[in-house]
Amino acid sequence: MESPLHHFELHPLVEINLLGLDLSINKAILAMWAGMAIVFFLFKAAGKKEGSYVPGKLQSVLEVGMEFIRGMVEEFIGKEEGKKYFPFVATVFFFILACNLIGLVPGSYTITSQLVVTGAFAICIFIMTLIIGFSKHGGHFFSILVPPGVPKVMVPLMIPIEIISMIARPISLSVRLFANMTAGHTVLAVLFGLAMSASLALGWMPFAFTVIINGLEIAIAFIQAYIFTTLTCVYIGDVINLH
Amino acid sequence: MNEESDFRKGVGFAFRVGTELVVSVFVGTTMGYALDWFWGTKPWFMVAGLLFGGAAGGLMVYNIAKNLPGGGSEEKDS
Repeated sequence: MESPLHHFELHPLVEINLLGLDLSINKAILAMWAGMAIVFFLFKAAGKKEGSYVPGKLQSVLEVGMEFIRGMVEEFIGKEEGKKYFPFVATVFFFILACNLIGLVPGSYTITSQLVVTGAFAICIFIMTLIIGFSKHGGHFFSILVPPGVPKVMVPLMIPIEIISMIARPISLSVRLFANMTAGHTVLAVLFGLAMSASLALGWMPFAFTVIINGLEIAIAFIQAYIFTTLTCVYIGDVINLH
Repeated sequence: MNEESDFRKGVGFAFRVGTELVVSVFVGTTMGYALDWFWGTKPWFMVAGLLFGGAAGGLMVYNIAKNLPGGGSEEKDS
């Protein structure tokens, strides 16, 4: 029987070697392009209607999503400051959601089940928050390492703790998304393996479970995209509104 | 609407807490191990890092729980 982790392996489809860099095209890159294209053309199709003030079906759905994200941004970053970061946060949400959902199509690939991809997202967000913090507050930004209301005696103890929790942020952000997607797809693969290897009299049971777990995976795709963007907002908000 | 958003926050909380705890212990220990490796003071910084990591994880969970809707948050800090 095939290993349930087999479908996470990547093999180059088109070999490209440029100046010693391995730029081969594989399934993950195709899935990422598909995610990008879906988000881009969906919003393009929804937004291009001219001369009509009545939104169509697609536009209504996407507007609900945008309203939802705007509420999130306003809650965690602030009404005025949030406007600057709203496009970034919305892009992150819809891109991760599209990538998570594409992974559920049989035969495609979940790029968010690769720690490299989620780690790259998280490190970009982490560096971005550092740049925002330093450009906004200058040297005063270091006061983020000392929470308010801490007695003077405790400050040397609090600084390492705060540094650790600062560094833990991007790691937990990336590991959460990666672990949830990988775990879900592994469970699906194991159940499919059971269904294939058992006889027909028993094989329908794991197969029925895959249907249920697939529904659960759709919910997880939304929840993980939501959590990733909420935490992005929380981290940006923390840096902007220093206690 | 309000009830639904409480549910969403609860689900977010459930997914956050576990990873935050584990990852901060891991990060603390790794940083301690790295300092030991640089300065050649074999176990001591790793032990301290383990303790600090645990403390950071506990503090983070406390801070998240304080901002939960039903968590009895007296002040709204951000």
